[in-house]
Amino acid sequence: MQVKIVIGTISLMLTMIILGFAALREPSRLEDFTLARQGRQIENGAELFQSQCMTCHGVNGKAEECYDAATGEQIGCAGLPLNYGPLLCEDTSQRMINMNWEGSKPAFIQATISSGRYGTAMPTWAADFGGPLRPDEIEDLVQFVLNWETEELCSAPAFQYEWPATIEELLAEFPEGDAARGKELYVTYGCSGCHGDPEGDSAWAGTGPWQGHLAEEAGTRIEGMSGQQYVYESVLYPNNYIVEQCPTGPCNTPSAMASNNFYARMGDTAEKPQDLVDIMTYLGILP
Amino acid sequence: MATFPEQIREMGVKQAVIAKADEVVERVTAGMNISDIRAALRGDEPRRPNPRLRPHADSFWLHIRPSFYHTEVTHIYPTFRMGWLSTFMFVWETITGIILMIFYTPSPLVAYSNMWNILSNVPLGQLIRNMHRLGAEVMVIVVAMHMLRTFITGSYKKPRQFTWATGIILLVLTLMLSFSGYLLPWDQLAYWALTVFISGAEAAPAPAIINQNVLLILQGAPSLGAGGLLRWYLLHVLLMPLMLGILFFVHYYKVVLHGMSLPPGREEIGEDTAKRVPKNERTYFIPDLLTSELMWSALMTLFLVAGALWLWDAPLETHANPVVTPLHVVAPWYLSWSQGWLKLADKTLVVGFIPALLVAFIVMPYFEVGKSRRYADRRVGLSVAFLFMAFMLVSNWMGTPEYRVASSPDREVSIEILPQEGASTLLAVPYDEMLEGSFLPGQDLGENYPHLNEALADLAHAVLANSCTVGAPKITTIEASEWKECDVVTLENGDKQYNTTFGNDLMPDPYVLLEIEEVQPKLLRLTLVYDVPEPDNPNEFRIQTSWTAYRHADSNYEEECRYANKNC
Ligand code: HEC
Ligand code: HEC
Ligand code: HEM
Repeated sequence: MQVKIVIGTISLMLTMIILGFAALREPSRLEDFTLARQGRQIENGAELFQSQCMTCHGVNGKAEECYDAATGEQIGCAGLPLNYGPLLCEDTSQRMINMNWEGSKPAFIQATISSGRYGTAMPTWAADFGGPLRPDEIEDLVQFVLNWETEELCSAPAFQYEWPATIEELLAEFPEGDAARGKELYVTYGCSGCHGDPEGDSAWAGTGPWQGHLAEEAGTRIEGMSGQQYVYESVLYPNNYIVEQCPTGPCNTPSAMASNNFYARMGDTAEKPQDLVDIMTYLGILP
Repeated sequence: MATFPEQIREMGVKQAVIAKADEVVERVTAGMNISDIRAALRGDEPRRPNPRLRPHADSFWLHIRPSFYHTEVTHIYPTFRMGWLSTFMFVWETITGIILMIFYTPSPLVAYSNMWNILSNVPLGQLIRNMHRLGAEVMVIVVAMHMLRTFITGSYKKPRQFTWATGIILLVLTLMLSFSGYLLPWDQLAYWALTVFISGAEAAPAPAIINQNVLLILQGAPSLGAGGLLRWYLLHVLLMPLMLGILFFVHYYKVVLHGMSLPPGREEIGEDTAKRVPKNERTYFIPDLLTSELMWSALMTLFLVAGALWLWDAPLETHANPVVTPLHVVAPWYLSWSQGWLKLADKTLVVGFIPALLVAFIVMPYFEVGKSRRYADRRVGLSVAFLFMAFMLVSNWMGTPEYRVASSPDREVSIEILPQEGASTLLAVPYDEMLEGSFLPGQDLGENYPHLNEALADLAHAVLANSCTVGAPKITTIEASEWKECDVVTLENGDKQYNTTFGNDLMPDPYVLLEIEEVQPKLLRLTLVYDVPEPDNPNEFRIQTSWTAYRHADSNYEEECRYANKNC
């Protein structure tokens, strides 16, 4: 019996020592698991992004390179860039200010994904609102999108090109247009996602009017305004003019283009305004 | 009797306090004062009348325990302490389970994040969770061993048939407790194991209308969801433990009533002398058995705490997803045999056979009426028991995906190297060692990449196990001699199959590549690319596919792989 008492006491002491050891390493373990939890959410978010979001927001979230899920063909990106400084940098990012969002950044992204954006191509994702994703999946996607925020992305000095009032002044700075490059940009900026292929079938256009005849029509839209100036303004300030037959005609959501924010996206480096010149050359608006 | 202040006046403070303490101890122990306890611990003879018997008569906790045992049944043999251990495990599970309950809400919306909260935010949460889950598995083993020992020592025979019968019900309850807890983390493992298992109800040999309603009751809805989770939670924390607790007392009451059976060789054939214990063969509960039980409790606690800390980690897969069925849905090992049977026999037959088997077990002692409990007289019975055990072990193995699960060879490689759930050697390669680039199975990247090399070696093994050669191996980093020759079989429809003795429909001379690229800061995409040309027509692909997984720098699969129960 004495032996049993000794064995029992020693076991009890060993157990206490082990528990003490476990308690000591606990703070660092908890931290590791907190990070691990987030890491795995990001992994899962990456998988969901690949299967659900890439066709519109692009392979690296820059809304530049999009592929049709079924055929694998490159298509115009219908979505906005998410791997994008103005969306992710600062506690209150530029996009949150533009969209009048008062809450936190994760909540901004979560709300956008959950409910989609009414009147745009951004679908509703949350099961609560009729979408296909569960709340935990939305949460994983939010973590994934936020993970694009890096010092590198946010340390790039914020640049905003001051767009001149007239197309002539722009052309003075960027005189040469490249139609071939414009053709590519028309896809990567997502113009074709809404306007369809201007060299193809007009029935193809979905959200915006087909632009195969834009070169002839642009000059007739606003009295006294050249076609060049009209297109220039239409891209930068979509709300300035709404195509007449638009609310009922080919485009189901007249304000759709506004949030694409080409004013900012085509002007966030000193060279970018060239993109607009190239696109306009491709559309036959500029020679 | 004098009041405390009077006592102080009479004998002084010190003596009065000692007297009071003595009185309190005597009340708490229902009969033993301090010097009685010290005498018991020292191993002295008790005074007369024996104070060590009074707790059995007067206290609640000990009134169900006998005050002495036959010395013959207090050694390791014949009980192996297994019945006692089963009880200990039940208490252990109750305590750890109640702690977990504090941090758990049975709702599909939060159950899974509750698990992560326990792991990442509750001090010692992982330890408690591991202790509970390890305890559940140990309890199943211990109860099964206890059953085995009562069979082998013939303790189920008259007059203990009813003890055995309640035992079988306890076994079922133990399994159901373990299994109902399985669902609670609401991860893929849990969700699909349960979905597949309870779908068995559909195939029961009963009218369809009954089956459908049983299934509906088990799932709480046409498929497992919020209602189902709540139901299984209540089963797990309320109904099952309650029934097990009640049945335990029935079981144990019978054990005490009949006395524990002596080793078979100790009594005449056909006699039961357990209750007639001569004075010189008594071992008293206090102090001997009590000490022994406390020692075993301390040892088991040590084992379970250390095991849960270093050896065994409770799995937690990704969130339950009703639309994605994992490639291999496996039952927990203690129910794997049923999956094995399902692969061989008709579902209705299996689902009908299991309750029939249980009834057979319950009534067995009433039909098996051989008088002798001695081993030499029970050759047939013992042989049948061992055959049955062998049968269960083989069935259990057949229940694992290793036996007869059809899936494509590339999938088999993929889920071994980049599993949908849990860790693997590749996922557990330390993040700094992960290189961006394309790698071949078996490639050696030099001494700076020991873990990645190991993972690529694993990939080579997996590829070799799922492919064969028709004479033109394409993966240069695997020795030509390692490929097994294909047996080419032409099917009726003219298609060809490439087989070896170890598997059918393998990849003939595949080209496999692992691509690693960074897609976000601290996030890698790992892609396995398979190109398997048609051997007869190199312009066509038999298999051309890829498989992707992601790996974040912090996801810490390394930690998981430290444990012995993870296969990486
Ligand atoms: C059918 C195309 C499409 C798909 C698929 C799509 N989106 Fe979008 N998404 C858009 C469009 C278009 C917008 C811009 C909405 C607007 O104009 O305000 C957008 C906007 C967003 C925004 C807000 C960006 C900002 O700067 O305001 C987020 C975040 C977002 N999407 C995330 C996702 C996620 C995550 C998925 C996958 C679950 C997804 N999207 C799938 C088209 C899509
Ligand atoms: C989210 C969908 C969408 C995207 C992306 C989009 N647009 Fe539009 N666009 C519209 C809609 C809707 C209209 C019609 C409403 C209006 O006039 O503002 C329109 C109108 C226009 C007009 C005036 C057309 C006319 O017939 O008068 C021009 C020019 C134009 N877009 C150019 C572009 C260019 C160039 C791009 C790419 C850089 C682009 N759009 C991207 C939706 C889009
Ligand atoms: C939760 C599960 C169970 C608990 C807690 C339990 C507990 C006990 C305890 C404490 C004893 C005292 C003797 C000993 O330690 O062996 C006992 C005896 C016994 N048990 Fe169990 N038991 C369980 C399951 C079973 C099962 C599955 C069977 C067999 C089907 C079984 C059959 C018996 C029999 C026949 C005895 C009498 C043994 C004898 O008199 O020698 N029990 N049980």
